[in-house]
Amino acid sequence: MTAAMRSQLKKRSLWKGLAYALLLGLVGAGIVHIVILLLIPSFSERNAWGRLADVADLETMVRIDTSAAGPPLISGTDPAFLSAACRFDLSDGILHVQAPGHVPFWSASVYDRGGSNLFSLTDRSGPAGLLDVVVLTPEQMIDVRADLPQEFSQSVFLELPMSEGIIVVRAFAPDASWRPALEDFFRRSSCKLV
Amino acid sequence: MRTALLALVALSVAIGGGAASVWYALQAQEGIGAVTIGRWTTYPELGTPDANPYLRARVARDGLLALGRTEGLSFVSERDTRGRLIQRRCRYTIRGTLPPARLWTVHAADTGMAPISSAGRLGNSLNSQNVLYDDANSVAIAVGRNPAPGNWLPVSGDGRMLLVLTLYDTPLSGAGGMNGVRLPEIINDGCDA
Repeated sequence: MTAAMRSQLKKRSLWKGLAYALLLGLVGAGIVHIVILLLIPSFSERNAWGRLADVADLETMVRIDTSAAGPPLISGTDPAFLSAACRFDLSDGILHVQAPGHVPFWSASVYDRGGSNLFSLTDRSGPAGLLDVVVLTPEQMIDVRADLPQEFSQSVFLELPMSEGIIVVRAFAPDASWRPALEDFFRRSSCKLV
Repeated sequence: MRTALLALVALSVAIGGGAASVWYALQAQEGIGAVTIGRWTTYPELGTPDANPYLRARVARDGLLALGRTEGLSFVSERDTRGRLIQRRCRYTIRGTLPPARLWTVHAADTGMAPISSAGRLGNSLNSQNVLYDDANSVAIAVGRNPAPGNWLPVSGDGRMLLVLTLYDTPLSGAGGMNGVRLPEIINDGCDA
């Protein structure tokens, strides 16, 4: 074997090794892609729950729209709406969310801790168009059904399969003149365990 | 020595490529699970328990609390009807009829979905109750930095922007509700130099 042949052989095996490494890298990239994707929801501390936990305690309504002071807490909120969120934990009681008074349009959603929307309703969902929602677990529902408290007679009941979650209430402001009335709507709204 | 070098190549391709592809998939406007009507895109499953892993990652990373099915549906457009990216220095007309909904709103947002505010006294959002309709019940909304007669959605600044159209309490969010639905066109009326 001549020296020239030997060097050519060496070169060819180098290219082969590099191609093999790249192929292995691409397969690995696919695996890394899937792993990162599936880990983001459990490792993200800046999810809605985390952002709300930074500014408010459990069972406290906090405004999340753009008109509240500072940058919006939750991105992607509609500037034509005023909205508020309340984190809750049903292990110590059942959640009663109320807002008095009529507004042009309101809607509400219940999310799990990860931000999945489990249930939503609008002002057409309840009697009289008033916001009056009770959130509870199926076990608590059994107790409540046996002896319905008077204060829940007009409420919409939402049964959730877990204890921690977020409820968001949104109210539509047709124009700027509605804002004071809507701010009052949120100031008088309550989110409390009973 | 050579084996170590090749292993390093394989490893960096795997980690770099994997991370970059996730980043790309999450920032793409028309990702997996998107429904497109004209130039408008929506994710009916965003923030629902049926969402795919890409939508779940997006909800977690961006801290979203997406509208529920009963509440409404939000459409985003980053391109005009002719397919060019929407720029703040250009003038656009959003023209057409809107699908059935109890109310709708339209606003401009930056690429991070934060609403673009304008210094003007007018709000930075128009809705079904404060726009003027023409005889055929369709709307024409001018979008741009300079005031326009009729319906005007003011914007400010430079660079790209997104237009967001949200329908509230709409049958579109139900099963099969989006079949045959048309949304307004976004017509470019020229750009400032």
